[in-house]
Amino acid sequence: MNYYNKASEENIRIDWLTVILYILIVGFGAMNIYSANSTIDHTFIFDLTMEYGKQFMWIGVAAVIVFLILLLDPKFFNFSGYGIYAVVIAMLLVLLATGAYNKGAQAWFKIGSFKLQPSEFAKYATALALAKFLGTFDVKFAGKKNIAICFGIILLPMILTLAQNDTGSALVFASFFLVLYREGLSGWYLVIGLYLAALFVFTILFPSLYLIGVILILCGVVAYFYKKYRQMLWLSIIVFFASAIFILSVDFIFAKVLQPHQQQRILVTLNQDVAEYYPRKAKEFSLFKIDMNRKDKKASKRDYSYNVRQSKISIGAGQWLGNGFNNGTQTKAKLVPEQHTDFIFCTVGEEYGFVGSSIFVLLYLLFIGRLYYMAERQKNVFARVYGYSTASVIFFHFFVNVGMALGVLPVIGIPLPFMSYGGSSLFSFSMMLFTFLKLDANRVNEISSVY
Amino acid sequence: MEKSGKLFVFFIVLAVIGIIFITRLFFLQIVDTSNYYKALAYGSNEVTIYPARGTIVDRYGKLLVYNDAVYDLMAVPQKIKNINKEKLCKVLQIDTNDLNGRIKKASRYNTREASIIYKSLPFHIYSQLQEIIYDYPAFFIETKIDRRYNINGAAHLLGYMGEVTERQLQNEKYYKPGDIKGMSGMEKSYELYLRGKKGKKIVLVDKFSKQQGSFAGGKFDSLPIAGQNLIAAIDLNLQEFGEQLMKNKFGSIVAIEPSTGEVLSIVNSPNYDPNLMVGQTRNKNFSALLLDPRKPLFNRALKAPYPPGSTFKTVQALIGQQEGVLFPDTKYPCHGGYHMGSLTVGCHPHASPLDLEHSIQQSCNAYYCYVYRSILDNPKYKSVQDAYLKWTQYLNSFGIGVKTEIDLPEESPGIVKKTQYFERVFGKNWRSSNVISLSIGQGEIGLTPLQMANVASVIANRGYYYIPHVVKAIGDEKTLPDIYKVKHKALINPIYFDSVIAGMARVCKPGGTAGRTGIEGITICAKTGTAQNPHGAHHSIFIAFAPRINPKIAIAVVVENGGYGADYAAPIANLMIERYLETDKTVTTRKDMLDRMLNANLVGSTVYDLPKPDSTLRKTLLPLTPKP
Repeated sequence: MNYYNKASEENIRIDWLTVILYILIVGFGAMNIYSANSTIDHTFIFDLTMEYGKQFMWIGVAAVIVFLILLLDPKFFNFSGYGIYAVVIAMLLVLLATGAYNKGAQAWFKIGSFKLQPSEFAKYATALALAKFLGTFDVKFAGKKNIAICFGIILLPMILTLAQNDTGSALVFASFFLVLYREGLSGWYLVIGLYLAALFVFTILFPSLYLIGVILILCGVVAYFYKKYRQMLWLSIIVFFASAIFILSVDFIFAKVLQPHQQQRILVTLNQDVAEYYPRKAKEFSLFKIDMNRKDKKASKRDYSYNVRQSKISIGAGQWLGNGFNNGTQTKAKLVPEQHTDFIFCTVGEEYGFVGSSIFVLLYLLFIGRLYYMAERQKNVFARVYGYSTASVIFFHFFVNVGMALGVLPVIGIPLPFMSYGGSSLFSFSMMLFTFLKLDANRVNEISSVY
Repeated sequence: MEKSGKLFVFFIVLAVIGIIFITRLFFLQIVDTSNYYKALAYGSNEVTIYPARGTIVDRYGKLLVYNDAVYDLMAVPQKIKNINKEKLCKVLQIDTNDLNGRIKKASRYNTREASIIYKSLPFHIYSQLQEIIYDYPAFFIETKIDRRYNINGAAHLLGYMGEVTERQLQNEKYYKPGDIKGMSGMEKSYELYLRGKKGKKIVLVDKFSKQQGSFAGGKFDSLPIAGQNLIAAIDLNLQEFGEQLMKNKFGSIVAIEPSTGEVLSIVNSPNYDPNLMVGQTRNKNFSALLLDPRKPLFNRALKAPYPPGSTFKTVQALIGQQEGVLFPDTKYPCHGGYHMGSLTVGCHPHASPLDLEHSIQQSCNAYYCYVYRSILDNPKYKSVQDAYLKWTQYLNSFGIGVKTEIDLPEESPGIVKKTQYFERVFGKNWRSSNVISLSIGQGEIGLTPLQMANVASVIANRGYYYIPHVVKAIGDEKTLPDIYKVKHKALINPIYFDSVIAGMARVCKPGGTAGRTGIEGITICAKTGTAQNPHGAHHSIFIAFAPRINPKIAIAVVVENGGYGADYAAPIANLMIERYLETDKTVTTRKDMLDRMLNANLVGSTVYDLPKPDSTLRKTLLPLTPKP
């Protein structure tokens, strides 16, 4: 058998399809940042006083980082998984401490003019740590202890990021549950999650008691049809009561746990009139009496929907073919705040129209799909878990970011990987991606994890 | 290595999200076009480009009115944040409180839209401001046009500009707050021609309203269309001469070219410098003029009805002949006046009896009392009232008692009473003797100087007139509205003018009432008038046209409190006629008369100071190119 010879030939097989997609997306991103950020006075491509100019610099730096990663021995990542995780967690703790000291949230370290955002690297570190843990010989996603450790690895950075008031970045860690699903977490948990999300939305849209009535009927019907099975009866009863309690507490969670701007963003996404919502809900039956305090009332009057309105208008203005590169009227007018960062998709929508945006969405999904496909083909658990983590994090960002720009999801400020302006984001995603590409390139040299 | 079917689930999820996103994109970009139109509205600012306003030249092409660029400091109040007010105030030469007040006023009007903070920046402030304006993103300078007048008189004729009022804004959609439009004179009546058409430029703006470039490559932009230039009928030289003559007198001169109805000059005294009505000090000057006890803003030529006095006898003579109650050889006696019962209308001593021609020459009051009585008591009519009504119809055909419809705003129709008025005063069966003073143009009759000139014009034309108009031609095509090409016929047969004109031709010759005012070489047909004035000395009035054959100019002069018609009005009119008809504009055969007129002061010893125009106004012709 010349198995080993063949393997060594393929030693440097980088997945070029992914690399090409990566280059396409990064290049397209730079074009859109230029479009959104350049002004009449600033058109020179490498104008470092402008953010588009800096982005070209970050891309250059990212290329160096990618090159270095490809030079590293793939075993390094496995070896240093916990170490990187520990460093990032430490950085988050330091930030939290200094942030508290400065009486305000601070999400970055300042290095010269570059702001390093540890939360961006926390995803990378978490992916490595989770992969390392699940890749450890004889460890599986089973048993209370292992499951608890997995949850801990994910939740620790999530909570630390949340403590920095960076809700968006914290939510990204939820994408690791997709990895856990692949590694054996029951799909039911995801179904329950979706069910609760749906209930949450319906509670905002419809009166709570009607909703409880509808669930009662549905549970009754299920119980009737499966009356032969005693378990189904109990299940129906449990689902009903759990749902009812959840529904009745949604208003409380909504009004008290979420901040006013978050409440408004959700209401706007659901096409609800903000001014009309609170009086309507106040009339309804509720387990918890919600009294909005003055601060909340004042905040609720502020208009948090501007961004989404402008975003939808920008995208809508693109029509079939868009206005063309650097010609988006809304884009050039800088009407969408944060257009070169979180709302970069508006530029795509306006300048490339329905055709361009659809192609972009399909290309991006192809890219993510390719990553999942590659993750699945890994021979060892470390690489597979790491691959799924990479794909899932990118997927979550893409889903939330584009969904927000399109107004189907509430505004959550997270960047579109490889597209949005920002050095930290570009570096961390590039590191994450090329670490996986290195692992993938090396997969044939790995003997199956079952030694 | 454990195989898992879960990869398939991931692919399904990706596909579902792809479908959701693309469907949503389809809805936003293709189905819901409202976003597209909102984008047009949100991301753009319509910037008005003001066209150059039409200039006005006199009948010989001498420039009267032109444009100059003025610069207004504008600001969007909402965007004024953290600015260095001291620096700005220093440049604007106002104190901080003043600036704050201006900003507050602007924000009361609209915080999101630009309002004027400092109107018509003087040039030295403007140039300094240009250097620092970039530090003040909420502020910008808007270029507008302002008028400059090449003449320091003729203000009532040319008119002035002013900011559109609230009401005009509601009625006329063309204007926007802060726009200026013609408020009086030709500026007002020819506003539609002069203003041109505003252009617009849709510029992309960012959320700070900072301009980012043109929208859609300028597809929806429009260039301003410059206003049409006007050729005024006025003779600048004659106008200025008239104003010199009327200096230190109250009154008015109106000169018309009878063959066309073109107004050669309209002099009002007191007058004011039209340059007072522009620039920084406009409002201050305007209120000073408004409060001036001599009422310099009052357009006597068009709005002050004077009793025409004896000049009215020409009209009476024509109506009498047309009515068949007066013939050229009709003679009436005059023995110190007209006596009828207790009623006496006095007359100066002259030969008696007189025929029609000589009654005009001598201006016999008694003669016209007989004439008017024969008109009103004409047995052809059932009553005096009917005869009076017919008489007023004759007057109206001369443009008396009705507006002449001159192309200037705010004209008075003068005074011609209706029969009902006399019924109220004298009872139902009033008689001709009640109104006998009308025969000599006194009492319940009033003609504006314009109407008097128009009467002279009718006589010069032997029976018709064109509506007097101050514009000779409009625009490059040199068009003239058709209404000024229509002959308005007086209800008098041309043959009846012979004896009246013959009489008028004797007036400025020795033996006539203005015998000492004649100009050698020019046959001036004229009629003096002395209107009794209950408030003081008589008004000196004179109507004339010349030359007798193929008249070139018809003129009316009113000098308030000037005494007899021959005292001031006649010399002034005749000097004007000479100036207009003679090719050499510098010499006069009547140097004595000219000096007397120039030196005459009827205003009295009270010295008023008229405001002076803003000295910072640049009186240079600048090509007005709208800023890109």
